[in-house]
Amino acid sequence: MNKFKSMEDKLGLNKFKPSHETHLKIRKEVNGKKVDEKNLVENVLFVCPAKVYTYDENKKEVIVSFENCLECGTCRVAAPDEVEWQYPTGGFGVTFRFG
Amino acid sequence: MVEEKFDVIVVGGGPAGLSAAFVAVKAGLSVIVLERGDYSGAKNVFGGIFFTNVLSEMMPDFFKDAPLERNVTKRRWSLLTSDGEISGEYKFNKFNKEPFNNSFTVLRAKFDKWFSEKVEQAGAMLITGAVVDDFIFDNGKIKGVKVRMDDGEIYGDVVILADGVNSLLAKKIGLHKELQKEDTIVSVKEILSLSKEKIEERFGLNGNEGVAFEYFGYAVKGAIGSGFIYTNKDTISVGVGVTIKSLLEHKINPNDALEAFKNHPVILPLIRGTEQKEYSAHLIPDGGYNKISKLYTDNIMVVGDAAGFVNASLFHEGTNLAVMSGKLAGETAIEAKNKGDFSAKILSLYEEKLKNSFVLKDLKQFRKLGKTLEKNPQIFNKYPIILEEFVSGLFTVDGEPKWQKEKRLFFELMKKESIFGFIKTAINLRRVIL
Repeated sequence: MNKFKSMEDKLGLNKFKPSHETHLKIRKEVNGKKVDEKNLVENVLFVCPAKVYTYDENKKEVIVSFENCLECGTCRVAAPDEVEWQYPTGGFGVTFRFG
Repeated sequence: MVEEKFDVIVVGGGPAGLSAAFVAVKAGLSVIVLERGDYSGAKNVFGGIFFTNVLSEMMPDFFKDAPLERNVTKRRWSLLTSDGEISGEYKFNKFNKEPFNNSFTVLRAKFDKWFSEKVEQAGAMLITGAVVDDFIFDNGKIKGVKVRMDDGEIYGDVVILADGVNSLLAKKIGLHKELQKEDTIVSVKEILSLSKEKIEERFGLNGNEGVAFEYFGYAVKGAIGSGFIYTNKDTISVGVGVTIKSLLEHKINPNDALEAFKNHPVILPLIRGTEQKEYSAHLIPDGGYNKISKLYTDNIMVVGDAAGFVNASLFHEGTNLAVMSGKLAGETAIEAKNKGDFSAKILSLYEEKLKNSFVLKDLKQFRKLGKTLEKNPQIFNKYPIILEEFVSGLFTVDGEPKWQKEKRLFFELMKKESIFGFIKTAINLRRVIL
């Protein structure tokens, strides 16, 4: 319908300096209950503007593409119990050139 | 890493933190600003317009060297329907003269960086790449902050939390509750490049004039949210903002909402032929007056987005609230320093000052905005459709006698929504947006 870039290509426009360590984690358990990762990704974490979270059907776990994170905090607010969120260490992560 | 002790530690080098630092350092206090990005602005995003009414009090000549994009002389508010719009706009030439109505489009990576340089020139120390994870406590009292780096302890009398919308630090010490899905907007934005000449031609502008177009109604696939277009020098900022709750309910990803907005027949011609340059996302604290954090405690003040200072009404103001709150926190720090007392008792002056300023007065006026929009979803889905049918019907040229057409359209309209329903919604809306 248009010639605008896809999400993946859009993220490619940004300046990122990925850390070797993730700043985003999914808790395995919340209040003693095992987290349903598939349900979490499909019904909650799909709201991530950079689609950082995907569910790997083979491995049966969430893949966290933290290197694409725009550091907005949407996932933290959408799933406060399940997402363990911190800022990337200084010097890493996204650097906006326009902002 | 830094041996000495400071009067003021500012966490976060955005407009609120930099304003606090600027005011305090100008009065002779020792000030350190800790910014987590590679430079001030590296992690910052807004629409947007920088409203400079408070900045100009602090730096009267700022527009002579600040990296401003365009001065906003034209604003449009538009109700989008599924394939059209009904809009109102103003354009005033008097806004094209100093002080330019205190409304400029800026790009934060450039503007915040410039602001931070001014603060450094005034004598504050700025450390970039510095993520603050925690406070330093001594006998239950806050004595400083811990930066995530070797020897990262920094000591100071007062810590000004300007760490933005997520403000993990304010939450850590219980000043702020967690953001709620219904009063947090996620905004996604693209920077699109277009030549200066084309922007001026396309948007009807002379020289440095710029536009701010805001789109409501069917802007984001019927979800509770809005879209915007702002003109910069040789780029356009286009984006949407939707509450996290509404995205979850409608099962819409914010990027898909942005793509739908960009491809709307009203928007597409405005951004045609542009090249995408950057894609960003940021949260907006939309809870208003009722969700403001506790603003101070012993040795702590909270400013800007960290405190929840955003006026999400039709005026869409955030930066001037940030600058004002920072300025008032800076002034309060000066008084605390003079008294040699940084306890909550003295810092309560910060809240007093805010109550007497437009920051808390405006937020109080619009305190019911979020709830009203949530309780009136017809504004975002039903009304755009029936208003379009009415207005487009009225102006359709087809030979039907006018009196007959007006009567027919009126009765069709009344079948869909009663006069009472319209009036009630209109009154509710007027109370919260203007």
